[in-house]
Amino acid sequence: MVKKLLLTLVALAGFATLASAQMRLPNVKIENEKGELIQTSSLLDAKTPMIISFWSTTCKPCIRELNAINDQFVDWQDQADFRVIAVSIDDSRSASKAKAMASGFGWSDFTVLYDKNQDLKRAMNVNLVPQVFVVDADGKVVYSHTGYNPGGEAELLKEIIKLKK
Amino acid sequence: MKFTKLIPFVVFTLVAGAGTAQAQEGEAEERDKKGFLTGSFETNNIYFVKEDIEVPGQKTPDDRFGSNNYLKVDYIRSKFSAGVQLESYLPVIQDYPAEFTGTKLTNIYASWVDDSFSITAGSFYEQFGSGLLFRAWEDRALGINNSLMGARFTYNYKNYVALKAIWGTPRFGMEYDTGVQFRGLDLSLNISEMYGAKKSTLLLEGSVLNHYQSVPQSYENGMSPNVTGWSARVNYENGGFMAKAEYVDNGTNYFPNTEMSSEDPREFVGKRGNAQLLELGYSNNGLGIFLTGRRFEWMYSKFDRTSSSAANVYNYLPAVTMQYTYLLTNLHPYTPLTQDSRNGEIGGQADIYYNVKRGTWLGGRRGLKLHANFSTYYSLAGKGNARADKLMFRDFSADIEKQWTRAFKMNLLYSMQERNTDYGATAKTELAHIVVGDFLYKFTPRFSLRLELQYLTSKEGDKDWMAGLLEASFAPKWSIFVSDMYNHGNDAEANRLHYYSGGVSFAHSHTRLSLSYGRNRAGYVCSGGVCRIISAYTGANFAMTISF
Repeated sequence: MVKKLLLTLVALAGFATLASAQMRLPNVKIENEKGELIQTSSLLDAKTPMIISFWSTTCKPCIRELNAINDQFVDWQDQADFRVIAVSIDDSRSASKAKAMASGFGWSDFTVLYDKNQDLKRAMNVNLVPQVFVVDADGKVVYSHTGYNPGGEAELLKEIIKLKK
Repeated sequence: MKFTKLIPFVVFTLVAGAGTAQAQEGEAEERDKKGFLTGSFETNNIYFVKEDIEVPGQKTPDDRFGSNNYLKVDYIRSKFSAGVQLESYLPVIQDYPAEFTGTKLTNIYASWVDDSFSITAGSFYEQFGSGLLFRAWEDRALGINNSLMGARFTYNYKNYVALKAIWGTPRFGMEYDTGVQFRGLDLSLNISEMYGAKKSTLLLEGSVLNHYQSVPQSYENGMSPNVTGWSARVNYENGGFMAKAEYVDNGTNYFPNTEMSSEDPREFVGKRGNAQLLELGYSNNGLGIFLTGRRFEWMYSKFDRTSSSAANVYNYLPAVTMQYTYLLTNLHPYTPLTQDSRNGEIGGQADIYYNVKRGTWLGGRRGLKLHANFSTYYSLAGKGNARADKLMFRDFSADIEKQWTRAFKMNLLYSMQERNTDYGATAKTELAHIVVGDFLYKFTPRFSLRLELQYLTSKEGDKDWMAGLLEASFAPKWSIFVSDMYNHGNDAEANRLHYYSGGVSFAHSHTRLSLSYGRNRAGYVCSGGVCRIISAYTGANFAMTISF
């Protein structure tokens, strides 16, 4: 039974790894800062890549990572043009708190979205936060990482610079 | 099971539909044509160790092992997606709802998201408003997955109108409870958009939810199989200001009769639930203020009236308090009163965030982040009123974050917590003061050390605690930690225990592994203000997540 399950898992994982070479930004509906529903496909502008970071008000490492990106945002912009999309996975109860928090942390350069029903989180298969993705201008996911260790944000800039070719 | 029989048909129809629609799409969609697979695998395992000494509330399962596993695979092709989730409990980890057992394909869905509509068939998640009336969601840390099996349809006309319609039967453990049905409608009108207002946003929203369960013979008290609830909401936003108000009528649910006597022999009595929620916020220029007020009574919504399992719930009543992340601040988190005589609460909270700018007197070279929170909750003085009775929980906290140099960052937190120890049966409370220092030093761009020092002082209960944590990070892949909580002030010498823990985690690309060993205190595991009670245990944890 367990053996069978493991085999299935390995097969599925292997198959999916092969097929996932071209993971793209999925199209789901998500709330913007005004509380209006937008489609994630509208985030793509065919010009600039994005860092998409999933966070929540109760996730300390997430906030550390976003603060670290925010602290270096101006310096990074000198090296490459990119946008930061901070996706709050807080439920409706904490989503308003997340808004106050984002302002209090001075994340004015970020686009903050509210995934209250966790549709984007599920579609991008995020199990643990922080999880961060680098998505190119056409919506292709080129990098992802789970968890945050101080200094780990440097990898994101590297990936973005790589996209400049 | 007629629902499960329906699925292959639905999936086939949608796949066929997707294929046809795809063929008609233009070149812009060309690159999406092939579609792709994505998914994730998560495994959480605990090996329990029996200790020689007595640890308060410690339980060790006979087979010493628990393993919760989730595999989710989705196929996405432009606007079409379909997926499955396989869950396996080998066996379920101690203290999770016992309904999670064995291995099964628990969730399956197909969906189509278009510009003006979306349709999902199979299992889906949804919530109306703040979730007070209805929320179907998954939280693996809590052991909650009450997704519905059925259909969800959404429609929007420009930005003016958004409509959601749902129908389905809830998941309970590994099965869908076909004896229970939900039907719901949610409507949101964007008034400001209709009148072309540029500066402000005004949304008027409302929901209706019908819950059906045939009434068991033993419940003969004129109980209706149908419970219909509704909610009305207003959201307003202008510049940095926002206001939200919600009123919920939860319909009449049945609760155990606490005044059962020979004159009133009814085992259960109908109670009409209701809730009020008010949120006010202001955010601008590094300042964020957020206020919440909430009152509710008889809002405990179980989809299966006969079960008391923690997984048996279809609305969301989280504690609206500060959600702490430090060890000693989370010894006694607040959980709202929802059941029996503890039928309701009234209270509120206030948050203020302030980012002191760089280059100012207080901000210094690198700025300073300030935050304070106050929350207070009371039980209700009687039915159908808003008078506060006994203090259930009160908490004040203030924290600062300061980046001193490029390498050194410091967080300081003070918290004062007062809680009712009898769940509102008496007015007895316990008070604790907690201080935390959290210091991060970056030795190189990749190597850093983080130290947490914590102290809790109280004249009541378990009295004084101290705690420490040291974490070394090698970015971006490795981190190791050791921590200890010590109840040195406990009156009973046998309870002056160390709750130690140590572990390592590794993350690379799509994979994260963590391994830890320690002695865990009896208490709560909380996620988003909802808590699950766990027994104390000593053991090794192994967790892995892979997303692909």
